[in-house]
Amino acid sequence: MDFNIHVAKVIHIFGIEIWITESMINSWFICSFIILGAVLIRLAFRNPQKVPSGVQNVVEFFVEAFGSFTSSTMGKYGPKFSSFYGAMFIYILFFNLSGLFLGPNIVASTPLDKQLPFTFMRPPTADIAVTLSLALMTFFMTQGYGIKSKGVKNWLKGLTEPIFLLTPLNIIGELANPISLSFRLFGNILGGTIIMGLYWNLPWFALLGIPVALHGYFDVFAGVLQSFIFIMLSMTFVSGAME
Amino acid sequence: MAILDFLFGWMENVDGKALILGFSAIGAGIAMIAGIGPGIGQGFAAGKAAEAVGNNPEGGRPATIVMLLGAAVAETSGIFSLVIAIVILFANPLVNQTGTAVVLAASALGAGLSMVAGIGPGIGQGYAAGKGAEAVGKRPKLQSGIVRTMLLGQAVAQTTGIYALIIALILLFVNVLNK
Repeated sequence: MDFNIHVAKVIHIFGIEIWITESMINSWFICSFIILGAVLIRLAFRNPQKVPSGVQNVVEFFVEAFGSFTSSTMGKYGPKFSSFYGAMFIYILFFNLSGLFLGPNIVASTPLDKQLPFTFMRPPTADIAVTLSLALMTFFMTQGYGIKSKGVKNWLKGLTEPIFLLTPLNIIGELANPISLSFRLFGNILGGTIIMGLYWNLPWFALLGIPVALHGYFDVFAGVLQSFIFIMLSMTFVSGAME
Repeated sequence: MAILDFLFGWMENVDGKALILGFSAIGAGIAMIAGIGPGIGQGFAAGKAAEAVGNNPEGGRPATIVMLLGAAVAETSGIFSLVIAIVILFANPLVNQTGTAVVLAASALGAGLSMVAGIGPGIGQGYAAGKGAEAVGKRPKLQSGIVRTMLLGQAVAQTTGIYALIIALILLFVNVLNK
C-alpha cells in the first residue's frame, strides 16, 4: 500500500526547488470544477427575478441558510464574514469528498495503473500542507481582526490576562489553535483514506456491499462533519478575538 | 538491576534496525491507548444528549447537533494518536537515521508513550460536549451561545494534547537526543 503524497514534478527557479505534488494538482483540478460551477450558476442568473424560481430559488436557499448560520455563530460580525466562510466551507467540503471521484492519474504505482488516464483522487486535505495553510489563514485572521477591532494596546493587554504571569501560556495557547485545527482535519481524512485503502486490498468476497457503508461513514459523514467543525471553530476564534 | 544490565547488553548486540523497528511497533501500539479518552468522553456526551432528548423532545434536534459537534472535537486526541501511529508504521523517519540504535528505538517508544496524554483532553472535551447538549436540550434558543462557549473551552482543553503531539513529532523527526 502506498499512502504517500507523490511528487509529480520538481521545478527549479533561481536555485529554489519547487515541488508540484499530487495534492496541488488534485486541488487545482477540484478548484477548476468549483469555478466552472460558479460560472454556470452566474450564467443561469443573468436576469434575476423578484420572485425566485428554479436555480435562483435553490441558490438563494443555500446562501440564506449559510448567512443565518454565520450570523448565529458570529453574532453581529456574521454578515461580513458569511461569503468568506461559505467559500471556505465549499472548498474544504469538496476536498474531503474528492476521494469518491475520479481525477487525473499523476503518479502510477503499478504498470496496470499507467494505462488509465484517470484514477480515484487522494483527498488534498489528507496533506498537512493544505490543512495547515487553511489553519494559518484562520490564525492570521484571528490576530489581524483582533488588532483591528481592539487596537494594538488592548490586544497586547489581552495576552497578559488574567495575570501577567500567564503571558507565555496565553501565547502558546494562541499558537496551539492552528495546530489543533490543521491536525484534526488532516488526521481524520488521512485516517479514512488509509482505512479505505487497506479495506479495498481484501479479497473480493469481502468487498460485496460493505464498502458503501464504510465510504458513507469515513468519506461522507466524517468529511461533512469535519469541514463543518473547521469553519465553526474558525468562526468562533475570529469572532472571539474581535469581542 | 541485573535484569536491566542484561536487557541493555542484549539490546546493544541486536541489529540496530531490528531494534528500532521492534520498539516502533510497541510505540505505535501504545500511542493508540489514548483512544480510551475519546471513548469515555463521547460516551458521556451521547448519554447526556439522549437524556436531553428524553427530557425535552422539542430540544432534541439542536441537542443532537451540539452532541455531534462536541463529540467530533473530542475525537481529536484519538486522531492525533492515529497520525503518530501511522507515521511510525508507514513513514518511520527513525529507520534511516544514523546514531545510537538504543536512543532511536527509545525515541519511537517515547513518541508513542507521550500520545497517551490524549486520554485527558478526550474525556474533558467529551464532558463539555455532554453538558453542552444537556444545556441546549433545556434551552434550545440559546444554542449558538452555548456552542460557542463549548467550542472555545474544548479548544483550550486540547492544549495539553497538542504539547504531547509536538513532543512526539520532535522525538520522531528532529531527534535532539542524538547529536
